[in-house]
Amino acid sequence: MSNTVKVINVGMADYKTASTPDILMTAGLGSCVGVCLHDPLQKIGGMAHIMLPKANGKAGDNPFKYADTAIALMFKEVLALGGKRGRLRAKMAGGAQMFSFPGKPPVLKIGDRNAEAVADELKRLGIPLLSSDTGGSFGRTIHFDVSTGELRVRTISHGEKII
Amino acid sequence: MEISQIHLDVLREIGNIGSGHAATALSTLLQRRIAMSVPEVWAVSFQEMAGVIGQMDEPQAVIYVKAEGEAPGKAVFFFPLESAEIVVQALIQSGETPDLYADELAQSALKEVGNIMVSSFLIALAQFSGVPLHPSVPALAVDMAGAILDAILLEEGTLDEQVLFIDTQISGIPQIEGQFIFLPEAGSLHKLLGAFGL
Repeated sequence: MSNTVKVINVGMADYKTASTPDILMTAGLGSCVGVCLHDPLQKIGGMAHIMLPKANGKAGDNPFKYADTAIALMFKEVLALGGKRGRLRAKMAGGAQMFSFPGKPPVLKIGDRNAEAVADELKRLGIPLLSSDTGGSFGRTIHFDVSTGELRVRTISHGEKII
Repeated sequence: MEISQIHLDVLREIGNIGSGHAATALSTLLQRRIAMSVPEVWAVSFQEMAGVIGQMDEPQAVIYVKAEGEAPGKAVFFFPLESAEIVVQALIQSGETPDLYADELAQSALKEVGNIMVSSFLIALAQFSGVPLHPSVPALAVDMAGAILDAILLEEGTLDEQVLFIDTQISGIPQIEGQFIFLPEAGSLHKLLGAFGL
């Protein structure tokens, strides 16, 4: 086993799990939401790149696209890695609204709906949501350190922060 | 519907004619030579998206225009920031580098570029296929390419498992680079191909 830190890239509509000292990252979240699970004792975690709120029975096409189905699958995998149900914590970022069309109300604020669906699913699974950075009209790239549980949120014109 | 090789060939031809018109329009607008590559047609999953648009968190100026009508779709231009600056400078005939994040004149100039190029693309498409289409009001975002793309893909709140792109590279003198993609909606593909007897 080497001690070099691997950066594991999570693509759109996908999730990955990792253990210390690795870092999970996903680049360019717009209306999508990046949600991270963390077991601080085991120093393991997962990150999902959610595209849409609820599967509504359509999960057959790709369960990793939807907040409810993707988080449930990632939760199971983190438990299988040694995570403990009562110890898991969550963080999320993303859910922006990148465009507004003049004269047209934003009927479907898909970013907000995604963030809401993630929060609902975490609640259903009994996982506390420690912090989140959602909304606005700018993209985010996120890095999650499964050793510390720190989620670094980088933007182009709205700075960088750790939540 | 299943996409066969002949469908891809027809889509490539549609893209070729449309983007040729769009290149001519941009060329006239900027008074300089603009070339567009022969389009590639891709049917990709989300995981492969980075292969089409490159670095997901690279800042780009992106113009988004919806094609409305009987075979709706989405037209998107990706301009690297330096290229977008050159395009704006050529249009408003200014020597100063515009602030694409804040300068409203620069932003509306870019939207106009999108409007003119997409209109030409759609006119060519309509003449060729007989399916009438018209452009929506253009929208602009200057941010991470991936973030903008996901917002465009998700705008209607639904998403097919594979995304079909007609993808053209733009290049011009001096140093203009860009990418034009057209995403027909699932039902539209059937209509467009139907116009060709497929």
